[in-house]
Amino acid sequence: MNYWQLNAIFLAAVAVTGCFALAKSRRAMPWLPIVGTLGILLLVTAVFDNVMIGIGLVGYDRAKISGAFIGIAPLEDFAYAAAAAVLLPSLWLLLPGRSREEP
Amino acid sequence: MPILYLAALAVALTGMVVLDRRFRLFFWRDTRRAAIVLVAGLVFFLAWDLSGIGLGIFFRGETSFMTGLVLAPELPVEELLFLTLLCYLAMNLFGFLSRRSRGPATADARRSSRPSTADARRSSRPSTAASRPRGGGGPR
Repeated sequence: MNYWQLNAIFLAAVAVTGCFALAKSRRAMPWLPIVGTLGILLLVTAVFDNVMIGIGLVGYDRAKISGAFIGIAPLEDFAYAAAAAVLLPSLWLLLPGRSREEP
Repeated sequence: MPILYLAALAVALTGMVVLDRRFRLFFWRDTRRAAIVLVAGLVFFLAWDLSGIGLGIFFRGETSFMTGLVLAPELPVEELLFLTLLCYLAMNLFGFLSRRSRGPATADARRSSRPSTADARRSSRPSTAASRPRGGGGPR
């Protein structure tokens, strides 16, 4: 199994969670905060993933990555940022909030 | 400097906690919900990491910047802090952007719109500080 195939499994779980959050929130779905979080996380990942790979914190089996890079960071790594920006806010929206606060 | 990466992560995480506390973004917004989201996120990303490691897609680099302590084969202890930082950053951003896009009308935003912690300390009545406009430092 290559990196994209692995990502597909985990991103599918993220998508399902996101759909549940969307079904619950409907028109109150906070699209702007989620898209904003996604954009900033992707930017931060582009910078720091390159640094982390550049100084040798992590290595990849070149046979199992697609070969698409942002700098020296495999494009697949950005799936982590995308998952964080969708999965975590979705879980937050699905969990009941404090009584004083809107969900 | 085998402690360098761990120290950098600790500094960044401390920054996340400070921002969370100052602007009530995540744990200071709803502790129970934040704890569940953070733990669920960590379990999810650790499962992703361990799957990738098990499949031989990525592995711990040979570097002098890490302590060498591992939680599992090829899973450095630093990775746990990295994933915590990723989750914390995501939710701090989401909390901050949610408040901005909801506007100042919600109770959540009013609670957090104190001009500064110093102002809050000076004021014996928290409600007075909370009613001031955000960042304005009171009427001039």
